[in-house]
Amino acid sequence: MFRLLQIINFLPASAEGGHGEEESVGAMVVHHLGDNLPHFWPISYINEHLLNEKLFGIFDMRITSLVLMMWLVAVLLIVIFVPVARALKKETVSRSKWVNMWEALVSYVHDDIVAPNFDHHYAKKAMPYFCTLFFFILLSNLMGLIPGLRTSTGNLAVTAGLALLTLLGIIGVGIIKQGPLSYFIGLVPHGVPAALYVLMLPIEIVSLFIKPFSLTIRLFANMTGGHVVVIIFLYLVMMFQSYWVGIGSVAGALMIYFLELLVAFIQAYIFTSLSAMFIGSSLHAH
Amino acid sequence: MDALKEGLLKLDPGLLLWTIITFIVLVLILWKAAWKPIVNSLDSRAEKLRGDIEKAEKARLEAEAVLNKNKEILDNAKDETAKIIAEGKVNAEKIRSEIIAKAGQEAGDITERAKREINTAKERALGELKLEIVNIATDIASKIIVKNLKPEDQEAIVKDALSKVDSIQ
Repeated sequence: MFRLLQIINFLPASAEGGHGEEESVGAMVVHHLGDNLPHFWPISYINEHLLNEKLFGIFDMRITSLVLMMWLVAVLLIVIFVPVARALKKETVSRSKWVNMWEALVSYVHDDIVAPNFDHHYAKKAMPYFCTLFFFILLSNLMGLIPGLRTSTGNLAVTAGLALLTLLGIIGVGIIKQGPLSYFIGLVPHGVPAALYVLMLPIEIVSLFIKPFSLTIRLFANMTGGHVVVIIFLYLVMMFQSYWVGIGSVAGALMIYFLELLVAFIQAYIFTSLSAMFIGSSLHAH
Repeated sequence: MDALKEGLLKLDPGLLLWTIITFIVLVLILWKAAWKPIVNSLDSRAEKLRGDIEKAEKARLEAEAVLNKNKEILDNAKDETAKIIAEGKVNAEKIRSEIIAKAGQEAGDITERAKREINTAKERALGELKLEIVNIATDIASKIIVKNLKPEDQEAIVKDALSKVDSIQ
């Protein structure tokens, strides 16, 4: 990731000689992928008059475009799933293709993500969290593929927020199901000699925090990486100012775009699946 | 690089908090309104499917049993038919030979009777013929006797006859 970004920063130097384009590719990437404050009413009004002070001196709660994107995703999820749930409540087997599609995805989450990691009884209780997680990430990932919209999961703060909830889930479920003391003792696998125990406990505690960290970086890097490549492909057109490069780079960008479609699903699956695995494994000591 | 750090790799605490708030609110809203009914309907359908599969399995076993039974019946029927046909053949053979034998016997009887009738007819004809011949012969003889009998002879015969009568008395 860093290597890629470094390369991007070098590109403008070679590009500037050819034409009068002022914007460097780095700035362009930041402009397209970074967060910013919307300038339209009522968001701008709220930002300026109600949320201009930092909460506890740390949290800048102004509503940025990524916050709006998350809200859009949340509204979409409610608009999609509440009617689907209502339709399924009315008749167990629906004829509607729309309902069946979402239902198939939910049963996919249930069968392939939640069920392998939770016992039947807990699976039902865990479903709301993992379903929301999966569809929230999936829709957020897909959002960025629509021109004019942004991928909220392509931001470290958003993925860190989601991973933080997973970390809370891991520790919370462990403490509730195993008891606070036995959970932290149980972090180290059974049958480890006492001498190694002293060594193992810090490692296990570090690995506990590495899990959400890897979740954060993985989702962020995947969603950002694809977008960066698309932007670079399109930037090549401005760099060379040639129709032939345009054909090639649009074709390349289109290919990456399709790849992004796939990656959106895969990353939603991976994030949810790993979260389920981590939280599911803290149900029992091992 | 600074621009990237500010833009891409910045971890904005406000955004992080917004994410957590948004997500938790979303989970709470969708929990009751969407996931619970959907999961319930999935579960009930899975239950129904399991029941249906079990039922289908039972029905299949039943059908198999019925099929086996039918096969058995069919086999039995086949055996029965073969037996009946064989029996029929044997019976037919028996009846045929019986009829032939009877026909032969009857034919023999008829011939016999015909022969007998012919014989009786012949005998009767012969008897009648004999009687006729005797009558004719008697006629001829009486005519000859009448023509040739002398009175002395007649007297001798009568005497002889009378003497016989006398001897009997």
